[in-house]
Amino acid sequence: MLRVSATTTSTDIDLQAINGDADSAALGIEYGAQLMKFAESVATRDVQSLRDSRQRLLETAGPAVLVDAAGVAANFQRMVRIADSIGIPVDDMSSELGRQIRADLSLEEFASAQNTLEPSGA
Amino acid sequence: MTEFAYQDAEFDIRADIKDAHRAFWDKLAKAGSWWTGEQRIAIAQQSRKALECTFCVSRKNALSPYTFAGNHDFDSTLPDIAVDAVHRIITDQTRITRKYVQDNVAKGLSKEAYVELVGVVVAVFSIDEFHRALGLELEPLPKPQAGDISRYRPARLSDDIGFVPTVPVDGAVGAEEDLWSDGRSANVVRALTLVPDAMRDWRALGAAQYLSFEAMQNFVKDDARAINRMQIELIAGRVSSINQCFY
Repeated sequence: MLRVSATTTSTDIDLQAINGDADSAALGIEYGAQLMKFAESVATRDVQSLRDSRQRLLETAGPAVLVDAAGVAANFQRMVRIADSIGIPVDDMSSELGRQIRADLSLEEFASAQNTLEPSGA
Repeated sequence: MTEFAYQDAEFDIRADIKDAHRAFWDKLAKAGSWWTGEQRIAIAQQSRKALECTFCVSRKNALSPYTFAGNHDFDSTLPDIAVDAVHRIITDQTRITRKYVQDNVAKGLSKEAYVELVGVVVAVFSIDEFHRALGLELEPLPKPQAGDISRYRPARLSDDIGFVPTVPVDGAVGAEEDLWSDGRSANVVRALTLVPDAMRDWRALGAAQYLSFEAMQNFVKDDARAINRMQIELIAGRVSSINQCFY
């Protein structure tokens, strides 16, 4: 979705932001580094890191951005749990864009990849 | 006292987020399709307890979560098998397998009850995570309401994806007509449809915390949001990556 959004808006981005690279997150995305760090802190549940990244995002981008960011992060904390608890496979494994993204981000190393790659044995 | 007043927040919380949280709390307290209101609240309680469970921490570090014996730390009115499912969904979801879900059926946790349990766990967890993200106290759980379970099961189901039956892409008809339109869907949208109300709860909460189905078609910026789509997807991607989400 990030790649599609960037393409739609003709924006140069670096997908390594997804893997936690702050410089990549800052490329083409306003408050990208701060948003990435905040999302990371929510997902890792590191109390001190969350406190620091929340304050940094609030000071840099303001309360409306912080609240929206919290909503999205909280939403995706549940999305992964739905996908893995139900064992749903990726909808389309045939697209070149998807294949490239999975390779760039090394997604096939994740345990839940078996729900797509070996669905009957998962 | 009004639920989700967010009085301890130092900044405004969008009204649609408050409304979505209140609406889910109201449904949480009532009997569902396969669990009573009391049981649904007990599931919600365990979703919070799981984060403090020392057995879950030890099992998470075990090479296999299915050969590691022990007990979760907390008493519950729920069957042990349901408590274990809640804890796994919160703390070790990437290692849930088809065999685990199937074995649970033989032990008394039907796939229908499992799907409703998943729906309750993830909704409560997500609302709680919103509070934690903003440094706010968690909302007290509602008091359970009396009522009978409906035992509702969609007429059209398919076994083509995942560990449980789901409404097929062309199955949004009759009582399920509202689930999606145009005969198009995605696996994540279908995931909870064995219990259609669980999917409806998922959709309503997602529309406030993330984007509505309609707004997802806009890859630039939704006017109702302070962040654009790239910013939204950066957050979504980073959270998903840390959770090792292949989907």
